Formats: sequence, C-alpha cells, structure tokens
Amino acid sequence: MKKHGLIPFLLLVLLLAACSGNAAGNKEYPTNNIEIVAPASPGGGWDLTARSLENVLTGQDLVKQNINVVNKPGGGGEVGWQYLKSQDSHTLAVNSSLVLTNNLLGQSELTYKDFTPIATLATEWQALAVPADSKFKTASEFLEATKKDPSSIKIGVGPGLGNDDHLSLVQAASEFGINPSELNFLVYEGGGDVVTALLGGHVDAVTTSLSEVKDQHLAGKLKILAVSSEKPVKGIEDVPTWKEAGVDMVFPHWRGIMGPPDMTEEEIAYWDKKLSKLVETKEWQKVLDNNDWEGFYKNSKETKAFLEEQHALYQKLVKDSGLIN
Amino acid sequence: MDINSFMDGLSIALQPVNIMWIVIGGFLGTVVGMLPGLGPATAVAVLIPITFSMNPVSAIILMAAIYYGAMYGGSRSSILLNTPGDGSAIAATFDGYPMAQKGQAGPALAISAVASFIGGIMAVFGFLFLAEPLANFALKFGPAEYFLLMLLTLSAIVALSVGKMVKGFLAMMIGLALATVGIDTQTGVYRFTMGIPHFSDGIDFLIVIIGVYAIGEVLYNFLNIDQQKKEKKKVGKVWFSKDQWKRSKWPIIRSGPIGFLIGVLPGAGGTIASMIGYTTQKQLAKNPEEYGEGAVEGLAAPESSNNAASVGAMIPLLTMGIPGSGTTAVMLGALIMLGLRPGPLLFEQQPDTVWALINSMFIGNIALVIINILLVGLLVKILDTPAKVLYPIIVLLAFIGTYTLSYSTIDFFLLLIFGVFGLFMKVLDFPIAPLVLALIVGADMEQNFRMAVLSSSGSLGIFFSSGVSIALMILTILSLCYPLIIKLVNKKRNNKNSAEEKFTKTS
Repeated sequence: MKKHGLIPFLLLVLLLAACSGNAAGNKEYPTNNIEIVAPASPGGGWDLTARSLENVLTGQDLVKQNINVVNKPGGGGEVGWQYLKSQDSHTLAVNSSLVLTNNLLGQSELTYKDFTPIATLATEWQALAVPADSKFKTASEFLEATKKDPSSIKIGVGPGLGNDDHLSLVQAASEFGINPSELNFLVYEGGGDVVTALLGGHVDAVTTSLSEVKDQHLAGKLKILAVSSEKPVKGIEDVPTWKEAGVDMVFPHWRGIMGPPDMTEEEIAYWDKKLSKLVETKEWQKVLDNNDWEGFYKNSKETKAFLEEQHALYQKLVKDSGLIN
Repeated sequence: MDINSFMDGLSIALQPVNIMWIVIGGFLGTVVGMLPGLGPATAVAVLIPITFSMNPVSAIILMAAIYYGAMYGGSRSSILLNTPGDGSAIAATFDGYPMAQKGQAGPALAISAVASFIGGIMAVFGFLFLAEPLANFALKFGPAEYFLLMLLTLSAIVALSVGKMVKGFLAMMIGLALATVGIDTQTGVYRFTMGIPHFSDGIDFLIVIIGVYAIGEVLYNFLNIDQQKKEKKKVGKVWFSKDQWKRSKWPIIRSGPIGFLIGVLPGAGGTIASMIGYTTQKQLAKNPEEYGEGAVEGLAAPESSNNAASVGAMIPLLTMGIPGSGTTAVMLGALIMLGLRPGPLLFEQQPDTVWALINSMFIGNIALVIINILLVGLLVKILDTPAKVLYPIIVLLAFIGTYTLSYSTIDFFLLLIFGVFGLFMKVLDFPIAPLVLALIVGADMEQNFRMAVLSSSGSLGIFFSSGVSIALMILTILSLCYPLIIKLVNKKRNNKNSAEEKFTKTS
C-alpha cells in the first residue's frame, strides 16, 4: 500500500515540474537583461548607435529589462559579431555594410546570413569635398579631370579601403566611366584626419561622411561637391546630389541592428514592435538630428530583403574597386 | 579675444555646480591616471551615460577635467612604482623613480604636481591668445612632417641611452616590429595576426606598457626578494627644497610651450610631448650625466610638457572638430550625443561654452595642484607597504587595466608574455622606453611615410620640401649626433685641462 501511495505522489511532482517548466517557456521574451554589442571602441558611429538605442529604449520605457551596451572592438566588427554568434536572443549587435564587405573582401568567414536581421535604423550620407580654393567647382569637373589622369589626383579616405567612404566614390567613378582601381587613394587613420589633410592642402579631395565636413562647408573652409542622398540635404541645399550632378546613384551609409542566428518569430516580432515605436519618438529624432543622421527605418522583413539587395551591390563595388580579383 | 565672452565664460565656470564637476573630474582623472591601463579615455567612456542627463557645458567641463587630471595622476605611479599609468607618463620614470629610490619620493611628487600646474596654466594662456593661428599652423603638418616628427622623437629617445646605444636601437627595432602587427592601413592586408581577429587592430601599446613595466617590475623584485633588506625606505619631506625649485624653474617654463605646440598637432599627443620635453631639457643641461639618476629637472620638464599638451589637444577639437588623441575622440562622440558639435562654427554659435571651458581649465589646474599636493603625504605611504602586500595588488590592477582595454582575455596572455619580456630586459640592462615609444608611433610613422611618398609619386624629395620638415630633419641629426658631440666636447675640455695642467707644471 505504501508503495502505491508513493507513485501517484511522484507523478504529481513530475506533473508540477512539467507545468512550471511550461510556464517558464511561455513567459514572454525577453526574460533576461538585454545586451547590445557595439563592435567598436567607445566614441564611434557604432558605439553612438548602440548607446542612443539604449538611452531611448530605456528612457521611453519601451523595454522594461535592463539594457547594457558592451564594446567589443576589433577587426572591423569581426570580434563583436563572432561574440554575438555565440549568444542567445537577448544579445543584439549594431551593424553596417561591413557585415557584408568583410566577407566579400575575404577578411571574414561570417556573412550576413549568419545572423537574424532585426532592423535598419538610420543612415548617414557620403560627401565628396575639395578645398575651398580648389580648381574643381563641380563634381563633374572633378570626375572629368580624374578620368583624364586618375593618378594625378590624390583622394583622402579613412580608416581603410573597402568601407563606405571608399566604395561610394568607387561607385560614382564607375558610373562615370572611370576604372575605379586606378584612383589614387591616400588612407588616413580616420574621418577627422582626412578632413585635416584636406584643410592643410595635403590631398586634392576627400570622400567621407557628410557630418565630418558639413560644418566646415558652412564655415567656408572647404567645399562639398556632391552628396550621396536622394534629395538635397537640409541646411546645405546648395550642394547637389550625385543625381543632380549627373551621376545616377544614391548611396546610404546605413546602420542597423541584428541578432544571433535562429531567433524565433516571436522574438523578431517583439523587436519589430518596439523599434517601430522607437523611431517615432521625439527623443530618437533628436538623436538623428544631433548626429546628422537620417531616419532609415526598415523592419525585419524589409531589412532582410535590403541586405540581399545590398549584398549584390557591394559584390560588384568590391570587384570594381580592384581590392580583390 | 573678446572680453565680454571671456567674462561670461568665467561666470559660467564659477557656478558652484560646475566647480563641483571640475573637482570631481580632476580627482577622478588623477585616480585613473595613476592606475596602469585605466586611462582618461576609459574614464570618459564610462561616464558617457551619466553625461546624458547633464547640461552640455558641465559635461564638457567634466570630461576635460578628467583628461588633464589624468596627466597629473599618470606620473604618481611612475615615480613611486616605476610603472607609468599611460604613455605620457613614461618620461616621468626616467628620473622620478630614481629620485624615489634615493629617498626623495615626497619632493618628486610635489615638484611634478607643481610642474604640471605651471605647464597647464601656460598652455591655457596659449589657448586664449593663439588658438586660431595655431590651428592653422597644425594644418601645415602633412604626412612628411608627421613622419619626421616621429623620427625625431625616436632618435632622441635612443640617443638617451648613452653608453648602450646598440641596446637602445635593438629595443627600438623590436618595438617597430611589434607595431607592424594588424591590418595594414594602406592596403588592408593582415600582417602577423595569426588568424586571430583580435590582433587585427594591432597590439595595444598599453598592454605592453603594463606588461613590461608593472609585471616586469614585480617579477624583477621577486627575483631578489630574499636580498631585500628590512630597513625602512626613506620617503623624504613632502615638499621640495629651495635648491630643487631653483634647478627646476627654467626647465618647467621651457617645456610648457614645447608640450603645448606638440599637443596642438592632431595625433602627436602627450607621449611625444613629454619625451621631447625631457630630451630637450637633457640636451640643454649643463649636467647631463645626472639625468636618469634622479635629476629633479628631468622630472619637472616632461611633467610640465605633457600637461600643456593635453590643453593644446583641445584646440583642434574645438576649432575644427578634429580629435587629436584617443581621449578627445571619445569626448567628441559624447559631445555630439549632447547636441554640441565641436567645429569651426562652435566659437561663433556657442561662444559661452568655449569660454566656460577655457576658464574651467584655469580653475581645474588650481584645484588639481591642491588635490595632488594633499595626496603626496598619503601616496608616499605606498612605499612603506610590504612587498608581499603591494605586489599582488599591482598584479591585480595590471590585469584589470588590461581587461578594460578591449574586454578580451587574449590580452592576458600578451600581458604575461610582455611581463617576462620586461624582466629579461631589466636583467640584461636594455632601455625600455625606446621599445614602448617605437610601438606607440610605429604604425603611424609607417603609414605617414607611405602617404608622403605616394603623394610625391615616389620621390623622397618631399622630406626636404618645407621649412618645417628641414628643421625637423636637422634636429633629428643633431639629436643622434648628440652623444658624439658630448664626447668631443668633453675630450677637448680634458685636453685643455691637461694642457693647462702641463702649462702650470712647466711654469
């Protein structure tokens, strides 16, 4: 009898255990603290994106869990994204076109397909700038001269070839019928150094983010010949877009966010809901304005398609640039 | 200079809340500067979330105070433990540590605080009157000039190792070799990374500093721990003597402007400024043989210089939006998030902010010299700490500092390797500074050389094409020949003396 009494009891315990297990499984994502990886040192664009996300998501009470920003610098994102790959769905990482180009340039095994696309958030535009007293008055004058003798014109870029600063000009040049692999690039440490070199007259032109040169343009210290946006940019309406300058291209320098591989539909839907709210807030708009960024929100589905389309584009650009054979 | 804006700025900087931030920032900077590996860049980055809720003016005042506060703090551990907290504190080990060993730790700490103060104040005045022309002067520095400036620094440091030049050159070569690790900037080729993505950004010089100095020093003392006598080390008075002040006065005043000018150049920074400050002082000195043995001038000069450089580095940041160092780069990021964009328009659009910052640097330097002199009495107690307590703490701090650099455990292995390496260097009597300095400037030096040659289509003539580059070239040759010149002069003097002796004998 005693034995028989024990079995139902054990069954009951098992059942309870199973129930509580179920309950934990049903508990809505996210159950833990959220971690946002900035795959770079503090201070750069990725870090600013991650910290602004944290700031607005927490400040506006959009996400109840604690959000921590973790810096994992190294290898143009490689270190941070390798780390992301080994984490669960409570870790997300900031990305940009480097998630495509690292692989295309043969510098990384990781591809965009190794991760779950969550969203594209914001974009910067690229600018081509020359010294204020340059002999080039328009983008087409610059391109004409470059076409004639590509090696005679020194173009500053930073911090490495294969980034958007470099590839945006590669695209413009190849649209114009110049072989981009013949362009004479001088590679500086970063965007700031590139601008210093231009102001000091050590290079003939620079290709960089618009935010690096916008104030200098307004102060008359240098001249922006073209921006890569669709429409003229607020504040510098006098600067033509590449399209207006006769080169058919729009080149966003976008930043987004992605998760580790194999996130569930529910988890993706959670972020679609939260991030679509985030981009509507005034605080996020302020972040965009402060950084000279522009809203470029795409939800997870749109981002997936966008990445595929960008992958094809970058494949062509990297090949045109002559960086790989 | 606009008197009204200046007064407005002063009144903002004197608001109690801002004075509080200045003192907090200065103290925090002193502390992180002291700890190996934890530098002002890390401290500013950690504070970014806090600055979100702050008024932008207070935020920039706080961050600047941390930055120059770290210049005060950096030399503390150089003097007491022979472990610099940052690149700009390396020069303080040359004479600061020997002074402490001679029982003059107190005067060494005090004179370095005063030297930092005077250097800082001189630089703030420079900022007031010369910001604009200097910013334009800095632009003249192209790749060729940068390459030559770094070459000058390297050759000046190697020339310091009088009597063991070959070892100095060897240490420099090892440093330059280490600097080649990582992605090559011009071509994007991965060099010596052994397939580990962590190495793609190169070997962080701070790990090498912590390893070679801190861990190396601990291991070295471990070797002869049995021979150490139990006698209590003297720490000396907490204030310097009149004679010491007399000897340091002019070196401090000379080195301030040197450091300030170098600080204005984007990318040069406090390390090069303090090294140039030290070597200039030594080469001008009447008693060069005392340098490296605990000459008070040899400590005062680089201290004045590196603090002036940290003020100078604000000029390209504020007038052009160009960060001149790691810390100012982090500051730029933080300021942009606050909606304050440093650049050519800042002086016109927000003069209050700029003038408040400049004035806060006056107040900050005064606060810091007081903080640091008050701390002298406390800090010298470190020397009384028994080795078995002190050394584990140093090792622990070294590991923590290393981890905060890039949050990776791979760096621990590097730290240990360089620790053992540092031990061998000490045992074999190799100079350490050339190795560390070569690693700090190596990658930039290489890239600037290549850019210079690329932009002149392969001609080396570019290194003689401007007045600045020719001047740097001459200084480099002079500094390399300096040991030879000294020898010749001494010989002549000896000959003369012996000739005179003969003369007196015969007469």
